[in-house]
Amino acid sequence: MISASQPSQLTSKRAPSARVADHLFAAIPTAWLAIFFLAPLAFTVVYSFGNSLFGAVELGFTLKNYQTALSGFYLSTFLRTVQFAITASALCLAVAFPVAYFIARKAGRFRTLALVLILIPYFSSFLVRVMSWQILLARGGVFEVVLNFLHLHEGPLDLLDTKTAVFIGMVYAYLPIAIVPLFVVLDRMPPALLEASRDLGASRFQTFWAVTLPMARPGIATAVLLTAVPMLGEMVIPKLLGGSRGVLMGQAISSQYLQSQNYALGSAMAVLVLIAVAVVVAALARLTKGFAEVAA
Amino acid sequence: MSVRMDGRQKRITDAGLTLWFGLAILFLFAPLAISMIYSFNVGVVGKQTSNFTGWTLEWYPAAWNDLALRRSVQTSLYVAFWAALIALGMGASLGYALVRHPSPQVRKWLSGLTYILLIVPEVVIGVSLLLFYAVTGIPLGAATLIAGITPAAIAVTALIVRARALTLDPKLEEAAADLGSTRLKTLWFIVLPQLLPAILAGGLMSYAFCFDNLVVAAFLTTPTVNTLPVYLYGSLQYGPAPSVYAAATVVFLFTVTLLGLAALCFQLSRRSGRVRLGDVR
Repeated sequence: MISASQPSQLTSKRAPSARVADHLFAAIPTAWLAIFFLAPLAFTVVYSFGNSLFGAVELGFTLKNYQTALSGFYLSTFLRTVQFAITASALCLAVAFPVAYFIARKAGRFRTLALVLILIPYFSSFLVRVMSWQILLARGGVFEVVLNFLHLHEGPLDLLDTKTAVFIGMVYAYLPIAIVPLFVVLDRMPPALLEASRDLGASRFQTFWAVTLPMARPGIATAVLLTAVPMLGEMVIPKLLGGSRGVLMGQAISSQYLQSQNYALGSAMAVLVLIAVAVVVAALARLTKGFAEVAA
Repeated sequence: MSVRMDGRQKRITDAGLTLWFGLAILFLFAPLAISMIYSFNVGVVGKQTSNFTGWTLEWYPAAWNDLALRRSVQTSLYVAFWAALIALGMGASLGYALVRHPSPQVRKWLSGLTYILLIVPEVVIGVSLLLFYAVTGIPLGAATLIAGITPAAIAVTALIVRARALTLDPKLEEAAADLGSTRLKTLWFIVLPQLLPAILAGGLMSYAFCFDNLVVAAFLTTPTVNTLPVYLYGSLQYGPAPSVYAAATVVFLFTVTLLGLAALCFQLSRRSGRVRLGDVR
């Protein structure tokens, strides 16, 4: 995939003036993103070290905002967010893996249809789907009726505005983007390898544990990346399904900006989320790098 | 272990996997079905509750006649159109540069940038842009909103175009150059036609993403520039009317149609790619 040949001879043949087009192709989007993406992020980092005034920030260098963001209520919000993101991402992966395995190995000629079915809900209004979970999870709602019918639960179920509801919402919202990368790795896995494992006397479980799972590592890493990272900043699901109880970083940051007008503290909290994202990415990069070494 | 035991185990595993897949589909479609069903709900004094109080068609004309709702749909269409157009141009050029830029160093930096675009949480981008526009004194409006929602869409388009550009045969471009074509002519007549379906697919994908963007838009909207998701989000405070579900249902059908077109473009791109390679060989 990435190994496709790069046009080294092609470029050496070209006159230097002909390269202008190539540089423009790189420069134009980079310039746009520098203005509307990188510069704003840099502003946030700079402001996170400033002194907060009412509705304004005096630039300077102080760690005060970080001290506030890492103490008391804000610290517990941050830790809760990290814990939520990790748990919800793991749950998402656990639900997604068998689905991806089914599509890649068992769905046969229905695989494209199965993938499309997984992706369709993803393209309807995210907000409206989360709102619909309020109806599904409400007291006397569909979820309660079904669980009672199956005798998995007796009596009323007060799920709305609980942690469980937030987890259901998070797993729901990010399931499709966890399934796709898992499907891709499982789909590319050569069946001959699994047969070899069977021929050498491994049980189905041993084959899965020792061959399938380790080979699926890059897909697992991508799935975690695509779910855990946005979960760290998620603000709609906790608000709609978690009620006032489950305040996470997304809401906390937005309220610093929109209600308290404490831009400096809000910026520091945003930077903390970015650091958490960077840690997740670095950990996953190590995981896949380790895989590359094993494979080579 | 006997072969028969093994066969039984396999059947049980397969049945379990099929069941799991079915449950996942049910899980994914349940809220979608609910939102469509509740767009026909009578409701309780015009408000949406979890009680289904009977069927009615009145919410579709009600949604159409709601001026604020209609204006927010118009704003969303306008903003998503321009954002998708920008993302299409920028994403195509970034996606091509990711594969063909002469310097490996630049390619590495560009791909780093593309991945950063995808992983920075929306809420961080939203507040950063709010701060950025406030500090630089750029007044908020449709243009600032369009600019603000493009980065993620540019990344998505770039990755789609990159996937297609990787399959292009560099020999075609070399042949064009050997036959005396200028770089620009080669790009226009050789590269662009081959990338076009991927570019269009990326653009349509961006359109769907930008239309549904809530978090970034929530920070950058003004009283006059209010997109549909932001309007719906705001309306939640006093309880959503069933017309919200009606509007969402119509928009969903519209988006799915667009995505169907995108899929068709992609299918065509793969087919035309094959024909072209066949012609050369």
